[in-house]
Amino acid sequence: MSVVTRLEERRLDPQAELGELLACAGGDGAAVSFVGIARPQSGTGQAVDELVLDHHPVLTARSLQEIAVDAAERFDVSHVRVVHRCGRVAAGQPIVFAGTTSLHRRAAFEAADFLMDRLKTDAVFWKRETGESGSAWIEPTEADLADRGRWE
Amino acid sequence: MKILFHGRLAELIAPELALPAQGGCSVAELRQRLASDYPQAGETLANLRSRAVVGTAVVGEDHRVGSGDRLEFLSPVSGG
Repeated sequence: MSVVTRLEERRLDPQAELGELLACAGGDGAAVSFVGIARPQSGTGQAVDELVLDHHPVLTARSLQEIAVDAAERFDVSHVRVVHRCGRVAAGQPIVFAGTTSLHRRAAFEAADFLMDRLKTDAVFWKRETGESGSAWIEPTEADLADRGRWE
Repeated sequence: MKILFHGRLAELIAPELALPAQGGCSVAELRQRLASDYPQAGETLANLRSRAVVGTAVVGEDHRVGSGDRLEFLSPVSGG
């Protein structure tokens, strides 16, 4: 089994990440990947030019690793790969890649679902949307917290 | 005492602050002092999801900090 996590300060290439994941999934029968993309609109419909993800020099990478290890231990998966952007991410650009592989599909689906629910609430980032109307801090929504609660 | 702030608190107070030595105090007392000095950050400081960190460990409200210590306050995280 492998768990790979990376905090990426520059461009995130989802196809390259999926390729890396598949390259180590030789004996598996399933691979699931999720790509999160920076939305061009805020929750209230304002145009968003970019997201800015502030991070902690130690605790952010640690949180990614802890979440990925939790997924690997909870589900019968062979490989977990999480790559998350930090810094400035333009609208339309990938912000996170989460991929899993397993012998059978269910575990890979569930582990990827779990990864994203945890990342959306527990990953150590401070996120701002910037656009014409200025800059606004973003916190997990009620829906994000409810999604995370499904795994407790 | 050196204090680093992350997230919203860095914007509301400063990314970094040096407080003059006044003997030791608990994290809870430090929150109150900062909230008094920077009322615009009071609500965020009062939110216990704003965690205090020493080194790389989250510390509790009773943890004591002294004049030579370095403490970080993490605003409630946004998630990814």
